[in-house]
Amino acid sequence: MVRTANVSNKLKQVKIFPQRLLQPETAEKLLNELDQVKGVVRMLISGKNLPRKITCGPGTGKDVNHPDRIIIHVSGCAFELHVIVGEVLVEVEDDSVAEELRKACERALPFPFEMKRGYFIKTKPTLTDFGKYGFKSRTDETINLEDERMLGLVDPHAKLESNICMVKAEEHL
Amino acid sequence: MAYKPQYYPGSTSVAKNRRKHMSDDVEKMRDISDEDLTALLGHRAPGSDYPSTHPPLAEMGEPDCPVREVVEPTPGAAAGDRIRYAQFSDSMYNAPSVPYWRSYHAAINFRGVDPGTLSGRQVNEMRERDLEEYTKRQAETEMTDWGLAGLRGCTVHGHSLRLQEDGVMFDMLDRRRLEGGVMVMDKDQVGVPIDRKVNLGKPMSESEAAKRTTFYRVDNCAFRSDKEVIEWTQRIWELRTKYGFQPKA
Repeated sequence: MVRTANVSNKLKQVKIFPQRLLQPETAEKLLNELDQVKGVVRMLISGKNLPRKITCGPGTGKDVNHPDRIIIHVSGCAFELHVIVGEVLVEVEDDSVAEELRKACERALPFPFEMKRGYFIKTKPTLTDFGKYGFKSRTDETINLEDERMLGLVDPHAKLESNICMVKAEEHL
Repeated sequence: MAYKPQYYPGSTSVAKNRRKHMSDDVEKMRDISDEDLTALLGHRAPGSDYPSTHPPLAEMGEPDCPVREVVEPTPGAAAGDRIRYAQFSDSMYNAPSVPYWRSYHAAINFRGVDPGTLSGRQVNEMRERDLEEYTKRQAETEMTDWGLAGLRGCTVHGHSLRLQEDGVMFDMLDRRRLEGGVMVMDKDQVGVPIDRKVNLGKPMSESEAAKRTTFYRVDNCAFRSDKEVIEWTQRIWELRTKYGFQPKA
């Protein structure tokens, strides 16, 4: 398993774009299917925010209690969905995995979807990342992150713990 | 022969629907009680009196003015109601009303309206009791499919998003949702919970929405497929361009 995010040209990224916004059950099924595919390095889900509280207007501060903001389980790891899943970005080790990804999506999604290859997650640290993590040392000016796969998965201002889910972390140590 | 307004050109289903909306010749699809509608709007408690911003016009002693004599005030203006608003979001996936057509419907068929049109939503300000009458008309008729449209005073996001798996337009504040095959709403238009669950009826099927929509879409009824509409759009564009052209500037 590689320990860096896209520093090698071998790694490829695939965007999975379903025709509909996914309900939590379908998202859970899709992520589990994708996780079973060998060669997947990391996944990033994005979509429209499901706020915990109303943030504007006369109802500001009231609870929303959106039924789609629930805890889902991916490969035994539980996390709370903060978005209604609109797309999944998957980083894979090489191109040959793309066909397996397509089959996994066909198993999980009851409607059409698009798959695009390209670079969707940042490929190298930016100034904001260096501002957050710093350099390794005075002499080593690489970013001070043990696992560079963390890069690009969350907004630099967000907390890592509540936004990243390490699946089968012990296998990769 | 009595004059009959001609509202919109074209022979496609979308053009016909646009004419229907503008002329208020729309089919009633569901019943929403006055109390439920008042709760959904959230401006006053259902059953309470209308708060007023000035005394009734009859008591105010209006100045002698020929225009005031000619123009009869709306019931809300006559009673001195507050100005309040209602805002609808419409999905671009074949929702029945284009926001502009909500404005046309309001401005042509109601008085004392201040419609504001945006790309995916339409807000209308009126005197409170006039507003309730107007909102009821839009909410109960084929102008609104509660699966593809929503009463949203704030956090209106949804118009340009893909639909949810159940075919309903996304609502970040979960004001209304599909339950047991019908749309229900248990929050007012700004997301504050209300003391009731309002049944908004069945959402339209995909084919019915495609039939009743006023949205031109390439995958349903393309704008360019209606030659008469294109002709008139280009003619109006040409005339307003010539009218606006000032050689001295």
